[in-house]
Amino acid sequence: MAVAVAVAVACGGGAGTGEGGLGGTMILATTTSTYDSGLLDELVPIFEAETGVTVKVIAVGTGAALRMGSDGNADALLVHAPEAEAEFVASGHLVSGRLIMTNDFVLVGPADDPAGASIAADLPAALAAIAARGRFVSRGDDSGTHKKELALWASAGIDSAAVAREETGQGMGATLNVADQRNAYTLTDRATYLALRDVLDLVVVVEGDAALLNVYHAYVVSPERHRGVKSAQAGAFVAFLTEARTQALIGQFRAEEFGRPLFTPAATKMTSSGGGG
Amino acid sequence: MDARLEELSFAYGERTVLDVPSLDFALGRVTALLGPNGSGKSTLLRLLAALEQPQAGRVLIGGEDARMARSSVAYAFQEAVFVSGSLRANLDLALRLRGLAAPERESRLAEAAEACGVAELLERPASRLSGGEAQRANLARTLALRAPLTLLDEPLAGFDEPGRQTLLEELPALLRRFATTTIVVTHDRDEALRLADDVVVLRAGRVSAAGSKRAVFAAPPDPDTAAFLGYTLLRTDLGLVGVAPGALRPGPGDFTVELCVEEVIDLVTKVELVGTVAGQRLAVSVDRSLPAPGDRVTLGAPASATVQFSTRSRR
Amino acid sequence: MSELWDGLREALRLIATGDRELFAIAGRTLLVSGTATALAMFVGVPLGYLLGRARFPARTLILATVSTGMGMPPVVAGLVIWLLLVRSGPFGGLELIYTKQAMIIAQFVIATPLVIAFTAASIQALPPRLPDLLRVLGAGRLRTLWLLSREAHLGLLAAVMAGFGAVVSEVGASLAVGGNLAGDTRVLTTAIVTETSRADTERAIAYGLVLLAMAFAIVAVLTVVQQRQPR
Repeated sequence: MAVAVAVAVACGGGAGTGEGGLGGTMILATTTSTYDSGLLDELVPIFEAETGVTVKVIAVGTGAALRMGSDGNADALLVHAPEAEAEFVASGHLVSGRLIMTNDFVLVGPADDPAGASIAADLPAALAAIAARGRFVSRGDDSGTHKKELALWASAGIDSAAVAREETGQGMGATLNVADQRNAYTLTDRATYLALRDVLDLVVVVEGDAALLNVYHAYVVSPERHRGVKSAQAGAFVAFLTEARTQALIGQFRAEEFGRPLFTPAATKMTSSGGGG
Repeated sequence: MDARLEELSFAYGERTVLDVPSLDFALGRVTALLGPNGSGKSTLLRLLAALEQPQAGRVLIGGEDARMARSSVAYAFQEAVFVSGSLRANLDLALRLRGLAAPERESRLAEAAEACGVAELLERPASRLSGGEAQRANLARTLALRAPLTLLDEPLAGFDEPGRQTLLEELPALLRRFATTTIVVTHDRDEALRLADDVVVLRAGRVSAAGSKRAVFAAPPDPDTAAFLGYTLLRTDLGLVGVAPGALRPGPGDFTVELCVEEVIDLVTKVELVGTVAGQRLAVSVDRSLPAPGDRVTLGAPASATVQFSTRSRR
Repeated sequence: MSELWDGLREALRLIATGDRELFAIAGRTLLVSGTATALAMFVGVPLGYLLGRARFPARTLILATVSTGMGMPPVVAGLVIWLLLVRSGPFGGLELIYTKQAMIIAQFVIATPLVIAFTAASIQALPPRLPDLLRVLGAGRLRTLWLLSREAHLGLLAAVMAGFGAVVSEVGASLAVGGNLAGDTRVLTTAIVTETSRADTERAIAYGLVLLAMAFAIVAVLTVVQQRQPR
């Protein structure tokens, strides 16, 4: 083990300085659904080129991303679970929070809609219909989507444990695949659904309800709470996300492809200095 | 080079394998190390080759500790071991490890292979040699080294009968040609007599007799050694008497006993009479079968072939 | 079923047209797993040699420990290395987490027990008097190591194949410590995870085919060498 570590360190643990001058490496923890949408593949290279910072994007569930932040294992976070985020902001682990963008969740299901969710009166009724007559697939991975799903069951007055649910424990893409194969319903962010729409037989059955709004914040992990946090690089990245130019890019992201943007830029709407959305 | 053991003691765990206060192997002579299985013969060779270290005492080769003298020793194991590759490659390796240059290696290798009768097998993979071929190859490898001290462990093991006889006849000349001081381990006294100048008898880790073969065979020091050397032991009025192998024949002699024949075994070229002498069982080979079961035959031996053992005195 | 055939066809096209991303990932896989295996051989062969030859009281215990290391799930090794290298961990300051170096370390940890065990077994399987013979013929320590390795070379070949095969096909540890970063720490196995999760089946199948081809090539080499021996 010592031999391997010595070789590894000798080969360089990875800092780079670019033309931008700031240089260095940072770890951005984000959610799999955000990552799968491809947005960061477009934005990160721009940031890297301008600042010379190397951004390591680690995509895990929201819960895992928040824990990475609270353990000091990441430098910046891009997540979408406001209630959970608020706890970490309150405890001081996350600072410099900014609202970045929103999109919405949609309920998707088989094209023939066996549970009749699409004709239900409202979202709680649709959920009740699915609970009664359909199958449901859940992320089950403590992610933002999973937390939203549990919140929706709760506010519809349905005990989620009593519903016939399968938990995949995986990312949105994999979960959609499973739902597709099983002719089941699932909750997904619109972005991932749109990206995979062509390979799935699932259709949108419920959308637009206010409860389905999905809010994205970016944070810097507190350098006071955790030594070793690259606060300069992380701060620069969060600032980059809120820049007008970046926000415009977010608003156009894959809009042509899907006929509508995947995300709605929101940084200029409200500035949030650390609270929830 | 000569070899010497001083105050030597060697044990495996609890079991003492060798206990030798003093033993010399004279320069330039062939010594047979004779003893039954388990007597410690092979261990003694391993100590001479510095493959083992004694718990006490010293092993000296040419006056030096055996560990320093490894390059002076050539050792042929009882079971031939080779590395992968041809026989030629194996012989070459042994010579290369002694630091010989290529032309020298080539000539020594060819000479030894020729002498040991394996010249035609040089290109064959060494692992594909048959039992007898492998033993000869092993011998060739050992003799090619022309070492000051050569150790052979049961060189005639693994041969079938005609092959064994042939090599037994060739070996003395080979040793004179290639080896200086030689120690041959064997459990067979005929081999010992044919190959060696000196004999050391090892029993249960101890030297029970050592000296020229004539001295040892003519005068075994105790009844057990005598029995191992093939002596017939008889209890008579004079005490315990040992008669040299083959010395008892039908007819008169300085020492006579009477055999009550019980069985006559036809061995085609000779006949074996089995019976009792004063209550002890005895078998003796004779040329013709005149006696029959039930007869009494007088057997005699010359005085020079007898040894008297008793609790009080030794000859 | 037709999806599978479409996937296969598209996969072959990606391979045949020399798709840049595919070949970059394949090359990176060879680099990471090859380096890890080489390091494992460098450390594991001498240790396995000692374990196979020497006789000392703790030998059986150590052999058992090594064999357990072989049975340990790679993802567990990955978790342990992650905990060590992550910033909040003891070696966080080295900034090795989410790098190729971290993956090499994790794969090294996975491969080395295999190499040790295979080497020890192959040394033990040698004729028992062979080391004695070499000693008696006058071979020094290094020479003996070289000659015994040559004699046991089939076993050592098996050690390389076992080690490489184990690490090139594992995904859990590589994912955990490498982070599956596109263009940096993404290898064939972790790329398959990504492409599957994105439902890009053709790419996933293509990566799978390349991985299979690599594994096959390894086995083929060993088999050829093995069969070629006139032993």
